[in-house]
Amino acid sequence: MPHLDAAYRFARWLARSPAEADDLVQEAFLRAFRAFDSLRGTEVKAWLFAIVRNCHASALRQGMQRAFVPLPDEAAGEPALAGTGPGPEQDSIAADEQRRLECLIGALAPEHREVLVLREMEDLSYREIAAATQLPIGTVMSRLARARAALRSQWLGESAGEPRAVR
Amino acid sequence: MQCAEALRVQALFDGELEALSAVEVERHLEHCPECRALTEELARTRARLRAAPLERAPPELRRRIGRLLDAEAGAGAPRRAAWRLPPFWQGAGAGAALSAACAAALAWLVLAPAASAPLLGELVGAHVRSLMPSHLTDVISTDRHTVKPWFAGHADVSPAVADFAPQGYKLVGGRADYFNGQRAAATVYEHGAHIINVFTFRADGRALPALRSRDGYHIACWTAADLQYCAVSDAGWDELQQLERLLRELSRADARD
Repeated sequence: MPHLDAAYRFARWLARSPAEADDLVQEAFLRAFRAFDSLRGTEVKAWLFAIVRNCHASALRQGMQRAFVPLPDEAAGEPALAGTGPGPEQDSIAADEQRRLECLIGALAPEHREVLVLREMEDLSYREIAAATQLPIGTVMSRLARARAALRSQWLGESAGEPRAVR
Repeated sequence: MQCAEALRVQALFDGELEALSAVEVERHLEHCPECRALTEELARTRARLRAAPLERAPPELRRRIGRLLDAEAGAGAPRRAAWRLPPFWQGAGAGAALSAACAAALAWLVLAPAASAPLLGELVGAHVRSLMPSHLTDVISTDRHTVKPWFAGHADVSPAVADFAPQGYKLVGGRADYFNGQRAAATVYEHGAHIINVFTFRADGRALPALRSRDGYHIACWTAADLQYCAVSDAGWDELQQLERLLRELSRADARD
């Protein structure tokens, strides 16, 4: 199934719970399958992301979505958080950093998080991100810059142990 | 206070600037320590974000969707359904076979990158060089009847060439590049804001990975009629593979003529 893994990863960032992500992807693939004949152009992946995103938006509208987004203040500088990550694996520094990073991405504003994830994790071009999010390219660029700056300052603040002034 | 060029610096980092702007921004970087620091930060952030292996969809979800789409495609008539499925969806239910193919491809990438690595590097190098001012084309034409004969005098191979403007891939021209010990043909296509170089040279039996990325550029390789084709671009995979499909069809049609 083309792009299922990518669609699932994206849904995970939107839904913030594995079960909701499952439902989201299933609904999106069904919609995509039914609408496939209407697809024009070659940007299948961006098109599929747009559908996942729309499914998420309608789930939100229907109030089916339980919001779980950690607040930045809670995510930052909270040592107990390291113990709440998934998986029983040995705590290596890398795994620890990875969990912290995921928390910080989760704490970004949703409109910032989606462009960041599409660019950095899924390697979409600006044009593809614009197609997936139905935003003008200029907006994609400025949101991406803000998302990266926010992530960077959160990361620096947290790894320094306490929030640090960042330009 | 942020430098006014910050967004263009980000675009350069993301490989989104066309050649002339890229040169301007690179010049700016020489004089602006703030933007150099920004570039380094962008690279560090990316390295962090891409350090973890990519998560995959749970197998159970894959099976569930496969069943759902099979049912959707034609309840009770699986054979006809499969026949009617558009190519994109074929194998939707065949998760196991697909995973096996992926595993094989992955094993190949892990086990045998060394032999093809220098050539892939050369390809990306040639692509990047071509984007520098006035390096893109030796012959500028949207007409295959101009470009194809030009190659006859300047390259060792005669590649499949056509203007696919209706499909979104406009033929821009051709160029001869020397690498892999021969005069390779480089056909240049424009797709939206992206330039795609299709390098064609004699296949030497060395297997190249079908899809590979390097330095942020995507490379799609295939062989047709004893010729090795490698398309290099910052365009997305889907866009690159669409051009590959068009050129493969063309090679088949040429072979029949």
